Amino acid sequence: MTARATSATGLPPAARAGGFVLLALALVVVLALSITVGARPIALSDIWNAVTAFDPAQTNHKIILDLRLPRTLVGLLVGAALGLSGAILQGATRNPLADPGILGINAGATLCVVLGISVFGITQLSGYVWLAFLGAGAAMLVVYLVASLGREGATPVKLALAGAAVTAALTSVTSAILITNVQTLDQIRFWQVGALTGRTTDILLQVAPFILAGIVLALLTSRILDGLALGDDVARGLGLKVQRGRAMVGLAAVILAGAATAAAGPIAFVGLTVPHLARAFTGPNYRWILPYSMLLAPILLLGADIVGRIIVPPGELQVGIVTAALGAPFFIALVRRRKLAEL
Amino acid sequence: MSAASSFAPVGAVVAVRKRLQRRYGLVVLGLVLLSLAVASLSMSVGDYPLPLADVLRSLLSPFTGHADAANDFIVLGVRLPRVTAGLLSGAAFGLSGIIFQTILRNPLASPDIVGITTGASAAAVLAIIIFKWSGLGVSVMACGGAVLTALLIYGLAWRNGVTPYRLVLIGIGMAALAGAVVSYLFTRARIMEVQEALSWLTGSLNGSTFENLTPLAIALIVLVPLAALLSRSLRTLQMGDDAARALGTRVEFSRLGLILVAVLLAAFATAAVGPVSFVAFIAGPIARRLLGPSGNALLPAALVGGLVTNAADFVAQHMLGRNQLPVGVVTGALGAVFLIYLLAAAHRSGRGG
Amino acid sequence: MSLKTLAATAFATLLLAVPGAAFAQAWSYVDGSGATVTLDHVPTRIIASQDAAAGLIPLGIRPVGIYADSAIADAKALEGLDLTGIEIIGEAWGEVSVEKAAALKPDLIVAEWWPLENNWSGGKDVSVALRPLAPVTGPIQGSSIVTLIEDYEKLATSLGADLAAPQVVADKAAFGTSLAKFKAAVAAKPNLVAEPVWAGTDGLYVAATNASSELLDFASWGLKLIDPEIADDRGYWETLSWENADKYQPDLILVDNRQKSTMETALAQPTWTSLKAAGAGQVTDWPAYWLRNYAAYAGALDKLTAAIDAADQDLSTE
Repeated sequence: MTARATSATGLPPAARAGGFVLLALALVVVLALSITVGARPIALSDIWNAVTAFDPAQTNHKIILDLRLPRTLVGLLVGAALGLSGAILQGATRNPLADPGILGINAGATLCVVLGISVFGITQLSGYVWLAFLGAGAAMLVVYLVASLGREGATPVKLALAGAAVTAALTSVTSAILITNVQTLDQIRFWQVGALTGRTTDILLQVAPFILAGIVLALLTSRILDGLALGDDVARGLGLKVQRGRAMVGLAAVILAGAATAAAGPIAFVGLTVPHLARAFTGPNYRWILPYSMLLAPILLLGADIVGRIIVPPGELQVGIVTAALGAPFFIALVRRRKLAEL
Repeated sequence: MSAASSFAPVGAVVAVRKRLQRRYGLVVLGLVLLSLAVASLSMSVGDYPLPLADVLRSLLSPFTGHADAANDFIVLGVRLPRVTAGLLSGAAFGLSGIIFQTILRNPLASPDIVGITTGASAAAVLAIIIFKWSGLGVSVMACGGAVLTALLIYGLAWRNGVTPYRLVLIGIGMAALAGAVVSYLFTRARIMEVQEALSWLTGSLNGSTFENLTPLAIALIVLVPLAALLSRSLRTLQMGDDAARALGTRVEFSRLGLILVAVLLAAFATAAVGPVSFVAFIAGPIARRLLGPSGNALLPAALVGGLVTNAADFVAQHMLGRNQLPVGVVTGALGAVFLIYLLAAAHRSGRGG
Repeated sequence: MSLKTLAATAFATLLLAVPGAAFAQAWSYVDGSGATVTLDHVPTRIIASQDAAAGLIPLGIRPVGIYADSAIADAKALEGLDLTGIEIIGEAWGEVSVEKAAALKPDLIVAEWWPLENNWSGGKDVSVALRPLAPVTGPIQGSSIVTLIEDYEKLATSLGADLAAPQVVADKAAFGTSLAKFKAAVAAKPNLVAEPVWAGTDGLYVAATNASSELLDFASWGLKLIDPEIADDRGYWETLSWENADKYQPDLILVDNRQKSTMETALAQPTWTSLKAAGAGQVTDWPAYWLRNYAAYAGALDKLTAAIDAADQDLSTE
């Protein structure tokens, strides 16, 4: 399967730039909605005033600036990070099902956060960030190493199963701690569902540098990914340094997925499904798949978050639940497609 | 000359077959003896101080009539049901696992990994947290959840037949979905319900009684002969769909029957003790490595399952400090180690997943 | 089945075989579930749930074993009680070591009957596991902690406690003083409204008065409490998104003090101060669900009284 043979799929090349602009506009709309829609109805004039003439005494102003704005920006960054890390992982492993969530990072992050709460007595979300980051990166490495054992390397099924197995193993350690430590259990249950609620400016500032750096690194890999899509030998023939390229992709994926999980907790299916959606528009060209994924993922994540805010008033449904409910059917439809294994 | 030359290979085949049969016998005998050893250890060690002689006296008391109420309660009412629960559930998980692994032709595919036990878990957590059930109600829900999830996975993986690849991946998708349901229920429950659900989710032999083991025992009595019967076709399936079809096995029918048996075994075991992780996953490969190239690994896998469960429970109860942990914590850790061994071994022999 | 009968018979025999039992006085108790427990002697080896232990120990009845819902160090009800020599046989909800329990040779298990759950505290698994060892009994968890403590007094008396012991009398007297002060403080601030809450990262949970015995006590002593319109979380709480944290404006916020992280979580939310009382620092502890004895109750009331005395009662209406 060559790039030329499949470039017929997706939008015609001329329309791709137009599509990108449309997506960018859609993202702006979603961002605006995420600021305006919430559990508490706030008039547009109030929102305008909150930005132009902030008055800390006004609760509505505080909600806009201290809750919805950071929450929306965290959603934007987390979405972009998940979409991009999914796309570059799928490209680097030539595995259509590579997803940071399925690769064990959630279990790794959860275990580290649980240790942080139970051993170091950390109680606040902003304190979880570094731990989750560490756990996510370590778990992903282990899964990849385990799946790479054996002659064919990390095949789709082996990656997925190694991820599930490592997840189960890490989860049993987590359970061992939680069963005897009810206070930790009480805190972790609200984190491990995956949510944007309560993500304040300090969390945004903690993860933003990592995600921005990760985005730059990821976008730089598009040429490598296009080369890898042709097979390692062809890529080498084109003068690409395959090993160094893979390492760079891996690093970017760990930074992005780790920071995303650190900020929002485990969120399933976004990193997995968005690149496929992007591919439907762009065809197999990573110079386009990556920017498309970067815009599509936050549109979906923030969209799911907005749905979660209004679906069960006066409370909220966590975004992790909404993405699982929407993502699982998509994933299953994806698996049912015939030519999936050939990426 | 010609008679002699045709005789020699036949003699060799007979010799090989005999050797394999002897190995099979030795493996089964060894496993039975080890299981008995671990069971005796579990029967004689505990927080309730009881000399070995008293354990034996209590065990025999139904026949001798030599009753000592306190000791009999510990031996016959607590330790014996616990050991039995470990043996039965381990055997059911082991059988279920090896059937899955053989049919899906993948050593990594077992009911706990392809999402069936996760479906059972979600249903059980629903029962504990939303319906506030316990005991039998939770077991029934777990069983129903397992079967429903399995049917869904099979149905969704169907597309002009079912490929193992699709089955495994859809199973993983379902597991993630069921996991999200559990996470959500955890945020909506009171903390003590979450504790109760979590302990169930880990898989524990605590509180086993002969009464709540009865459904599993009946299931084993019905399903084990069925599995043995179907396992004849299992061996042809191992050669691949084409070879099996050429041999005249109705592939899809046998596969469905076996999967159903495996699902029910996993469902009843999960209902009895919770989703004890990795027993289904490791029992088959261990049994196969013990047996070498020779034949039917069903019985050895069941024995390995029971052995591993009881050994892990002993470790969890007595060897991990002051807190007594549920058995699932130890089997989970064990599974991780074994997984890495398995993949490393596949690397050496060139047989990957 | 035969095993069950065997065990039951066996245990009946065991109970009869306890040395001295034949000469002891028979004992009976009508428990919170309405059942009557009868023994041929006054039980002395008691296994108690954490709440029952918190009720009995200050009255001079020391259990031989305790099972808790969490690690003992986290069990708020047991805070400050001397547990030396008492075996801990369970440290998670629904979990108990039957072997450790049996080794203690208990003659009575004391828990609390939860009428709403139709179950004993500690969970059904625990009461099922312990029942073969000794009868399970205890007071009902009802509409008042004071009534519950009085139930413990009755139970303790029947178990041989001396309620005239100096420490017991002093505790009760101290509680009486604290209560009088509390009532006076409440009466002095007729406009003051309090809101009992639990804070999570996902939202602010406002407690339903009816679901908590001590809140019902406070209300009966005159404290005005915000009672949520809809207790959506199965009768216990109304969940408010942090955007709607100011749905109710109290003069005093009572924060569930079972875990110290709850207050930290509340303080970390930008809209916590959309509650005027939070902004003004009119926040104090709510001893949520765990009070079981006069000494602890007196301490909790003193803290509340101080907070009420210091509070501006017209804050929310200004």
